[in-house]
Amino acid sequence: MPLDTSAYSLALLRVDGRRWNELRRIHAQIRTQAAADGSSYLEMGHTKVMCVVTGPSEPGPRRGTAGAGAAGASKAVAEVAVSVVVAGFSSVDRKKRGRNDKRNLELQSTIANALAASLHTHLFPHSVIQVSLHVLSQDGSLLAALINAATLACVDAGIPMTDYVVACTAGSTSTYAAGDESADPLLDLNHQEEQELPGLTVATLGESDRVAVLVCESRVQVGRLEGMLAVGVDGCKQVREILDRVVRDKGKRMVLEGTVAKGEGLEDMDLD
Amino acid sequence: MAPNQHVLLSPAELAYLHEALSLTPPIRPDGRAPTQFRPLVAETEILPGTNGSARICFADGTEAIVGVKAEVERTRGYHGDDEEEGGEEKREQEREGQDEWVELTVEIPGYREDDASTAFLAAMLSEALLADGGFAKKLWINRRFHWKLFLDIILISPPLSYPLPLLSLTTHLALLSTRLPRLKSEGDEDPFFDDDWAAAPYLYPQGTATTRPPITLLVMAVGRNIIFDPTKEELAVADVVLAVSVGEAATDASSTKGKGKAPGRSLRLLSVRTVDPPSRVTPPGVPNATNSAYGIAASAQKQPEARTVEAQAVEGVWRAPRGGAKPAVMAALVQKVLERGGVADEVLDALDAVELG
Amino acid sequence: MPITITAPKAVRPSYAAADNASDDSDSDASSDNGAADLEGDIPMASSRRKEDKSYSIVTPGEVITDDPQWMRGHGTFVSPSTSAIVSSVAGTITRTNKLLSVRPLRARYTPEVGDLVVGRIVEVQAKRWRVDVGASQLASLPLSAINLPGGILRKRTETDELQIRTFFAEGDLLVAEVQQLFSDGGAVLHTRSLKYGKLRNGVFVAVSGMGGGSGVVRSRRQVWTMEAANGAGPLDIVLGVNGFVWISKHVETPEALIAETKSATTGITNLEESVSTTMYSSQNDRIGVETMREISRIRGVVTALVENGLRVDEDMLVRGYHEAVEMAMLGEGPDDIYLGGERGEQLAAALTGV
Repeated sequence: MPLDTSAYSLALLRVDGRRWNELRRIHAQIRTQAAADGSSYLEMGHTKVMCVVTGPSEPGPRRGTAGAGAAGASKAVAEVAVSVVVAGFSSVDRKKRGRNDKRNLELQSTIANALAASLHTHLFPHSVIQVSLHVLSQDGSLLAALINAATLACVDAGIPMTDYVVACTAGSTSTYAAGDESADPLLDLNHQEEQELPGLTVATLGESDRVAVLVCESRVQVGRLEGMLAVGVDGCKQVREILDRVVRDKGKRMVLEGTVAKGEGLEDMDLD
Repeated sequence: MAPNQHVLLSPAELAYLHEALSLTPPIRPDGRAPTQFRPLVAETEILPGTNGSARICFADGTEAIVGVKAEVERTRGYHGDDEEEGGEEKREQEREGQDEWVELTVEIPGYREDDASTAFLAAMLSEALLADGGFAKKLWINRRFHWKLFLDIILISPPLSYPLPLLSLTTHLALLSTRLPRLKSEGDEDPFFDDDWAAAPYLYPQGTATTRPPITLLVMAVGRNIIFDPTKEELAVADVVLAVSVGEAATDASSTKGKGKAPGRSLRLLSVRTVDPPSRVTPPGVPNATNSAYGIAASAQKQPEARTVEAQAVEGVWRAPRGGAKPAVMAALVQKVLERGGVADEVLDALDAVELG
Repeated sequence: MPITITAPKAVRPSYAAADNASDDSDSDASSDNGAADLEGDIPMASSRRKEDKSYSIVTPGEVITDDPQWMRGHGTFVSPSTSAIVSSVAGTITRTNKLLSVRPLRARYTPEVGDLVVGRIVEVQAKRWRVDVGASQLASLPLSAINLPGGILRKRTETDELQIRTFFAEGDLLVAEVQQLFSDGGAVLHTRSLKYGKLRNGVFVAVSGMGGGSGVVRSRRQVWTMEAANGAGPLDIVLGVNGFVWISKHVETPEALIAETKSATTGITNLEESVSTTMYSSQNDRIGVETMREISRIRGVVTALVENGLRVDEDMLVRGYHEAVEMAMLGEGPDDIYLGGERGEQLAAALTGV
């Protein structure tokens, strides 16, 4: 048990010294790669991911089956294509993962759906937005970190969207078996906690309560679900604020350096 | 082997580039000297969960990350655990490495692992590493166990130009920054190590006369000019392109006795591979004489003459290079890489100067 | 030193520690000061917001205004629930009369009617070409939209369709103007002017792929000829609005040729006949070494401007070029053309300082 229940109830501190509602250290940068349309680097605790976005651009030659048919192949909205590469050195034990294993495909499709929910794909028909994610180090909350990094990179690429898609994990201090009635929900699980305790990943659209992604792969009692969800959504709000700050600071720096012209405010305008 | 990215350039651009690179001295599109490399940004030990790691970004935005992890593995083929006489000295003499102890994988976005070009890159990089036969020896723990080294090389950006030199330099740096835990056990017993990471020695201890990991450089020739660190535009007009792997020989105390130290390192050529330049698949330009869009008069020309005109080289018109490279040119290329105080020396010096950690 | 390896630029520490006391586990140790810190944080936070307003930077999902008198432009959308104007990209606000739009900090080129662009042919289809202009879709160049040699009034025949590759083949570069836009945003180009057409005798640089802000700016003059130093002849510069730049040795413009031959020939159609012979040539003229050197130098200036975040337009480029020539003079003479890395930073500093 990573979370020695007796110790937790004494000081209410988790293994890494956090309280139940504290996020890990988040460090994010955008425009990490000059040649790409959009790029970002994100660390949530020890989970480190990099993202590169290309597009919207012309889709390549039609590969694979001709099932879609020549006529119906181009859709009226942009397609979001996600690829996730998990480095062999990302976990404690070196493990080589194939590109086509089920877990990877599921991650890719979840992230693509999450982004498509927010990006204004109707503005770029007949094009494709390619999102490449690289996982350099894993310590829990992988899906959440990937979604956050992908959002940041899309913002950097200037792709119009409704709002940031931000994600976070939440768990419960008691396992299903223990059936502890007074269990607390936990915010932002690390690898140890993810393995031992029930948890879920939730992604929201900005600071609203609208949920874009909800993934729960462990057994959890229904009564606890609402608490975990509430904590997760609250965590997402905090994450959004942090990511927003990163984007703003970068924008300010660009204005200061003269790369981008200063904008015009609304206040100094003549209302006639 | 096939080039990674087909570069699309018009025949007029190709003709211009070729002409500019054939001059003495060659005028490169970005104005560099023939032996000048583009500036690059490098950092090491960026991943605390690995034994060694490095990241290099080229000025054009291509980026690669290499992570090295080591695991203890039982040595196959060792039978019997009888205590032999001779003890330590005999054990040291038996110290030998096997190539299977190093596993190298390359990940390039957009390409599958079993793609031909990816497999070739991985093979070239690991071949250079194991060529001198000394590397695997470093992984020997005792007769029953050894370190299995995993090198995972990831190219972050899509391959804009042939990625071999970038991956090779990043691997070199990652290996320089690799540390293995300090061995505390003795003899052939089950190994156990010092928990203190600060006490872990480097795989390539600095300042001692051991070999250095190899580097692979891409070098091309246009006419008589030898050009290093080519961009994709320069590769598109190359006559010959070689991938040269260079290692550093261990400096023997005996060899420098009485000679005085010559400047530069003693380099060893590990491998030379020809790379198919993308120039061969470029479409030829059409000289004005046969260009039917060139005025009305041209279209009335008879067809048979057009064939002979195409065979001759017309000034200002691009023609894909045909045939192979002269041995003299290839020898000159290799010589330029290896010369003392030359390019390979400077690259190794610069990599050494990168602060570890 | 043939190779320079630099350490990466230091990055500012993460924001989590500063902003939100609950984010950083380290501050947990000083949790008894937590209350005081939070109190202290609030005035800082509001002053930061005021600072933000002065830069007018907005991020996706941020409400710009809910005043109904504004109309929304690019980079914004109307939130269905509150009917307020919300930004959809990260960028700066621009307003023209009552039109509010947000210009993103960085975005791909979006074609507008009338833009002068440099493009590369990537596909040849039955009666048109598909051109890469760096936008989200390939642009179209119909066969009917180009000048055929032999004059404007020449009838297009089936032979032209069969020989379509003799005009433009895959990989060719051309300069064209955006004539109209499809409903999905794709551009339709035309080269129906003697100043448009196939490009040769020079080099190509792509600005948009190198991370420079908004890259090439729409300015007064996108195409001009400039005098080069060190014994080179005049050079043509074409700054495509889409960030593709073409630098070449000056080719006599067809207008100039017309003027020369005006007296000798009769009739308009004959004039254009003689002039259009070089229009689709892919054979370079003889170019001198000095010209090639100066072309490389200007290319270096463009790259240096982009890498250091400066805008690329006629004024900056001309000034940058003169600065580069001077730097070379002070350095190793006219042969010294390299402007990457530190030299580029030196150049940028000299330009912004002036």
